Amino acid sequence: MNFNLSISTIIEWIGILLIFSIMTAIGNYVGFQYPLQEALIGMFILCFISLLGLIIEKILPWNVPSILYISIIGLLIALPWSPVSAPVIYYTSKVDLISITAILLAYAGIAMGKDLKDFKKVGIKGIIVTCFVIFGTYFASALIAQVVLSYTGMI
Amino acid sequence: MPVKTKYNSEMDDLNGACKDYKLHLTVLLCIVIAEYIGVISLDLAGISIVLMPLLYSLVLAIAFYIAKPITWISEDQSEKSTAIMMLLIGPLLAKLAIASGQNIGIIFNAGPAILLQEVGNLGTIFAAMPIALLLGFKREAIGMTSSICREPQMAVVIDKFGFASPETKGFFTVFLIGTVLGTPFISLLTSVLAYLIPLHPFAYGMACGIGSASMNAAAVASLATIYPQYAVEMEAFSGMANLIAMVTGMYVYIFVALPLTERLYNLLEPIISKITDKKLKIEGETVNEL
Repeated sequence: MNFNLSISTIIEWIGILLIFSIMTAIGNYVGFQYPLQEALIGMFILCFISLLGLIIEKILPWNVPSILYISIIGLLIALPWSPVSAPVIYYTSKVDLISITAILLAYAGIAMGKDLKDFKKVGIKGIIVTCFVIFGTYFASALIAQVVLSYTGMI
Repeated sequence: MPVKTKYNSEMDDLNGACKDYKLHLTVLLCIVIAEYIGVISLDLAGISIVLMPLLYSLVLAIAFYIAKPITWISEDQSEKSTAIMMLLIGPLLAKLAIASGQNIGIIFNAGPAILLQEVGNLGTIFAAMPIALLLGFKREAIGMTSSICREPQMAVVIDKFGFASPETKGFFTVFLIGTVLGTPFISLLTSVLAYLIPLHPFAYGMACGIGSASMNAAAVASLATIYPQYAVEMEAFSGMANLIAMVTGMYVYIFVALPLTERLYNLLEPIISKITDKKLKIEGETVNEL
């Protein structure tokens, strides 16, 4: 069988995820004073789920992106009737979303570097349209949610 | 514009990115500074604007790239960072998914709202299409405004319109800008909207799940600063909404969003092009005079 997946790729993934875990734990500590060790365990759990998702994507024949597998695995192991839910929830709660996004955006900033010229070419017009795309998607969803929530009596 | 056909091919192409310790140390410096500054709530004429560490780390990273004395951050690192970024979406999604699994009970209660608010993702067409046309975009506008322009829709656009088509070009314009600027933008947008139009935090929480992990996280984190008492529920709702948006995204896009966008385009384009043509003529004449 050809899995189209080499050991060196997996090692590379693990390396990046390890670096990412350590950085998140440090950022978390600086920003929120969460204990380093607990955040690190939380990050290892999150990275392990990602790694599983990435590998499953390569092994299974369907053309389904890894992000879906990752979401579904994360959802399943945190369900109340999952045997590992308590430790998973405890440790991952020590990792703040803000710390993860800050790192993501730092890499995004450097990644953007090589496209800066393209950004200038697209210019302010592209940026304005993008802002309206995001605004329209977000706000229309919020309006519908508000109506349905109050109709079903949840709020 | 660099066009990525398939996301994962980039991810396999890490090129020994993990040994580039200078790159990682630079990023670490960015985030330590960013986290040290922390979340700031600015009060601008009664509207509280929440500034998040992700905003500072983005700006710092761009500054590091531009700064001439920093020779170890160049195009090569830029490419590596693109690949790394794709990999880091994983843990972020896992975190959101865990929040959903943990709160499956309240998610069931809010089920109808979560499902129906996905329809709101079509709001982009009505909000952005007129703007895109007014700014002078033509067929590009279809690719730009028919969705939030994330991975689930990418293959559809390329497949339907072809790789070199204006629709695909438009799609990648929003894709590229959304990847980098979309995240800080939505984190500001959520805090401004929460004050200007105070819908229930649950409603805003669900709306954050627009099918992009980084935007989702940024939006929820910024809402959680405003409504810390609802943080858990909002994270759970948004994680679930995001998952549904990703699963259904492609089908909704093919069968609903794209036909709707084309129809709106055919309706609006003749009207708006008359307005913009007039403007162009005036501009053209002034150019001729010069």
